[in-house]
Amino acid sequence: MQAQPLLAVRGLHSFYGESHVLHGVDLTIQPGQALSLMGRNGMGKTTTLKSLLGLLQPRSGSVEFLGRDVGKLPTWKRMREGIAYVPEGRGMFHNLTVKEHLQMAARPGIGGKLEWDYDRVLATFPRLAERLTNLGTQLSGGEQQMLAIGRALLTNPELLILDEATEGLAPLIRKEIWEVIAHVRASGISTLIVDKNIEVLKNLCDRHVVLVKGQVVFDGDTQDLQDNLSQIECWLSV
Amino acid sequence: MDFAIFLVQLLNGLQYGLLLFLIASGLTLVFGVMGILNLAHGSMYMIGAYLMWYFVQLTDSFVLAALLSAVIALLLGVVIEKTLINRLYRRNHLDQVLLTIGMIFVFNAMQSLLWGDDPLGVAVPGWLSGSISLTELVEYPVYRIFVALLCLLLAAGLYLVINRTRLGMLVRAGESNREMVECLGIDINRLYTIVFGAGVMLAALAGVVSAPMASIVPGMGEHVLISCFVVVVIGGMGSIKGAFVAALMVGIVDTFAAVLLPQLSSMIVYILMAVILIIKPQGLFSS
Ligand SMILES: Nc1ncnc2c1ncn2[C@@H]1O[C@H](COP(=O)(O)OP(=O)(O)OP(=O)(O)O)[C@@H](O)[C@H]1O
Ligand SMILES: [Mg+2]
Repeated sequence: MQAQPLLAVRGLHSFYGESHVLHGVDLTIQPGQALSLMGRNGMGKTTTLKSLLGLLQPRSGSVEFLGRDVGKLPTWKRMREGIAYVPEGRGMFHNLTVKEHLQMAARPGIGGKLEWDYDRVLATFPRLAERLTNLGTQLSGGEQQMLAIGRALLTNPELLILDEATEGLAPLIRKEIWEVIAHVRASGISTLIVDKNIEVLKNLCDRHVVLVKGQVVFDGDTQDLQDNLSQIECWLSV
Repeated sequence: MDFAIFLVQLLNGLQYGLLLFLIASGLTLVFGVMGILNLAHGSMYMIGAYLMWYFVQLTDSFVLAALLSAVIALLLGVVIEKTLINRLYRRNHLDQVLLTIGMIFVFNAMQSLLWGDDPLGVAVPGWLSGSISLTELVEYPVYRIFVALLCLLLAAGLYLVINRTRLGMLVRAGESNREMVECLGIDINRLYTIVFGAGVMLAALAGVVSAPMASIVPGMGEHVLISCFVVVVIGGMGSIKGAFVAALMVGIVDTFAAVLLPQLSSMIVYILMAVILIIKPQGLFSS
């Protein structure tokens, strides 16, 4: 018998006004797994995340988290079920300091889980510890990304969703972010990673989904990915 | 103008400005955090004054009447947010204006029905009556000093809550990025209810404490609303700090104009606003 999935998304159809962007997207993440969601610009990756979080109401489709239908819940209640989100653009608050970003988000996860606290986040991101009194928007891109990830971890999630976490960062900083994500993975938190870097995702994630024009064209494990590498690179290249 | 009169006017101006701040803080907070332009905010000031009159009759106690009025205003604010204002969050400014102007009419009609249209008054409580001497010849009413200190205390409390508590962080975060706040598992609608209720209560408290200083009359809400809009625009829409500075400016300018330039006094604050907007089109402290 298959274990109960952590997240099961089925048949999402989403629209922006009249424009039909998602055409029946399915995704499943098992507990402890990491899933990569890949695709060229504008293929619907962010829209998929927004639809499953309720930031955008899909026209049809279902979202289950830990076996519970969360498709009708408001976004904040879905997050309370154990989801954390690091959005594209990082979602900084322009009027909060680094310290306040962390303090305002901190809470126990489901079942009172308290694996991540303020001190652990600062130990994981020593750069943030040096900038506690700066405003979030005064940080460099890499530091903002670390703050967004640290803030998400402080909600003690079961599933961490990252949208383009390394976008626009210098190679060294990218490497640092990937190391942090690997560390989070190792701590047992499931992850859903949207990115374009197939080389890194291949090693970091257990399953991979590729979107083309709002449709899933590939869904398989890392072995399947290797076996179809040339086709997949073709779907991802510009 | 000799020094004594100057001092009295300055104190009057400060005290009026602090009172304006109490009202304007809710207006600017609700706009900054929730994006709602609440034209019925002045009605809350009026309701505070009428409630105060009513409860003073009923209980014969200033403090008890003030507390009852504040609690009822808070509840009223919560109910209004949950039944009416929450319909506005995804709508445009025109809908906000229509609904909140409609609310002004409803509140005025209720005031007329419940309390009539004759001016009413509340006596200064015994323990706050009397005056203190500023100089040998000049006295200043204790009650006005009490009002100024109370307003300062409430302003300091507001500052501490917004800048030093988790609730305040959430309020500021909501002002910056509503969607991200929700994505952290925070019920933004509850936050909005709290902010709106607090704003209503502060406006009503301003009405409560002004009841013994000015007569309670129909239309007092609209009058104060306009002054508060001037304050909020000068300070920068959504800025509490701006509202504080602007309220003191408006209070002092308005008070001195009435003495020094009586012919111009009804327009002087608008001239002040125009000058400031020419220099800083977004107001003094806009973010
Ligand atoms: N707010 C919006 N209104 C209208 N159309 C939108 C909106 N946001 C995205 N779209 C369109 O929906 C499609 C999918 O966009 P989406 O942001 O999901 O792509 P993406 O895969 O995340 O791309 P990227 O790699 O650039 O982030 C695109 O064609 C985009 O132009
Ligand atoms: Mg995207």
